[in-house]
This record gives sequence, C-alpha cells and structure tokens, in this order.
Amino acid sequence: MRKEESVTDLGLIRIHKNVIASIASLAATEIQGVKRIGGDFKSGLMEMMGQKSLSSIKVDTNKNGEVIVDVPVVIKYGYNIPDIAARVQESVRLGLEKMTNLSVKDINVNVQAIERE
Amino acid sequence: MRLLGILFYTAVLVIIGLKMIMVSLAFSFDFLRPQTMTYINNALAFLQNNSNARIILGLSGFLLILVSISLAQVILGKFQREKTIAFKTASGEVTIALTAVEDLIRRITYLIPDVKELRPDVRAHKKGLTVDLRVVLSSEANIPGLTERIEEITKTKMQEVLGLEEKVVVNTHIVKIISAQDKDKRKKDDIQPTIPFSGYGKF
Repeated sequence: MRKEESVTDLGLIRIHKNVIASIASLAATEIQGVKRIGGDFKSGLMEMMGQKSLSSIKVDTNKNGEVIVDVPVVIKYGYNIPDIAARVQESVRLGLEKMTNLSVKDINVNVQAIERE
Repeated sequence: MRLLGILFYTAVLVIIGLKMIMVSLAFSFDFLRPQTMTYINNALAFLQNNSNARIILGLSGFLLILVSISLAQVILGKFQREKTIAFKTASGEVTIALTAVEDLIRRITYLIPDVKELRPDVRAHKKGLTVDLRVVLSSEANIPGLTERIEEITKTKMQEVLGLEEKVVVNTHIVKIISAQDKDKRKKDDIQPTIPFSGYGKF
C-alpha cells in the first residue's frame, strides 16, 4: 500500500493509507445516523477467516497528490440519507485536513444498507 | 469488456458441455475407436515425458484462472455499479445501494400492521425508480385501501429519506393472504421450539 509523503526541512513524513482510512472511519462513525462502516468482499472474507478486519475504506491519490476516499457506510433507519452522506463527507474532509494537512479532492460515500438502531 | 467476459464464460461452458455429451455418446454407442484411445494415451505419455509440455500446460492453466478471475471481477463490478443510485455533491459522489433502498422499504412496512411480510425489488433506470412489492397480507385487510396506503407510504418515505426528485413507480403484488389463525399458529411455532430428548432426566 502506498504512503502519502510530504517533505520538511528535517526529512520526509509518510502517512500510510491505512492511517487515512482510520481517520476517515472515525470521522464517519462520529456522525449521528451512521451505524457503522460497511464492508466489502475482501474484508468480509478476512473476517470469516478470523483475521483482523481490514478497513473497507479505499484511499487513492491522483497525479496532483490529492486524496480520493471511498467510504462505505451503513445508515440507521429514520435518517435522511443525502443529509447524512453530506455530513459524512464534511466530517471526513475536516478530519483529514486537520490531522494530515493533505488536500482532499473527493470523498465518495457509498450507502450499502440501512439498519435499525 | 463485459460482453467479452460473458462470451468467454458462455464459450467455455458450451465447450465443456459438448465434450461431456460427446464422451457420454461415445461410451454409450461404442464410438471410441482404438485409434482415438491410442491418440489420448500418446498425448498423456508425451505430457509425462516432456518437461516443457508440462510447464506449458501448467502455465496455460494458471493464465486461464487469472483471465477468468479478472473477467469475473469486471462483470461483477459492472453489475454492482449498476445496482446503485448515485448523485454528485460538492465533496464527491454519494452512491446508495439498491439493497439499502430495499432495506428501507422493508422497515417502512412495519408501520402498517396488516402487512405480514413484504419483499421489495428495486430497479433503477434513467427515468426514475421502479419498486416491485411482493406482499403477504392478513385476511381482514381491505386490499384496495391497503395497497394504496402501502404505495403512498413507500413513495413519500423514499422521496423523503433518499431525497429523490425522480419518479418512483410502485407496483404491488399480493402473493398471499393469511388468516389470524395462521398467524397465531406461526407465532406459537416460533415461540416454542422443541428440543429433542429435552425431557430426559426430569422428574
């Protein structure tokens, strides 16, 4: 997995994509109405095999070094989905910018399911 | 690419099927000539003795598996992508899985007591959404009134929760009407599961 890099006077700072995924995960689950982060085939398979679950949040960077994050979420029943999705995008953007100083291009929210509280 | 994948799998399955039919017919009607058997034996002997042939065979198998996995991923990815509703926001894209919309509809029906079971099937197309509902009702229910209510609640809730401006068409299909007795019986069955040999040792 590639790492996001930035250069300072004293050296190089690398932020692993897993760190970005963790920040995005925490920022998304902070929003009221988000039940949990959704899963994908790979993370489900790893979980079934008893392995520590990998984050299903996908982190990519484009040529300009901007970050693109795909966040799968499960939303609680009774909440307005576009509203929650917009709040997740805002929270993830704020979280990433605050903690990593990275420039975030897109935060794509994928609503996978709706579950009761 | 998707068409190519489907054609690949269809071709492979048709070839396997034809081979099986041919082998079955050949054994049934004794079509196998001694020359054919010699040819098969020679081919197997060649594979056994020639290391290059074995390597080529193994690599071909590996390549076939890789091609097969990539094509399956492309096809499944395409199908998955199609099964979502997407809209753009300033911060990126929001996609809602149609299965999530189905979950939502299933929850909505808890609001209507006469609906005993509901299986939604949501399809998205350019003009909007089509929702097919397969409903099990209780026998006391007034069907026209109830279906109208189901359709109305489904439509308004979907537009409210999903923020949809597109047209939502709801088709209701009543698959079964169950009586209150059936319901009670079902409840009893659910509550009292029988455990085999559970009475032993009790005095």
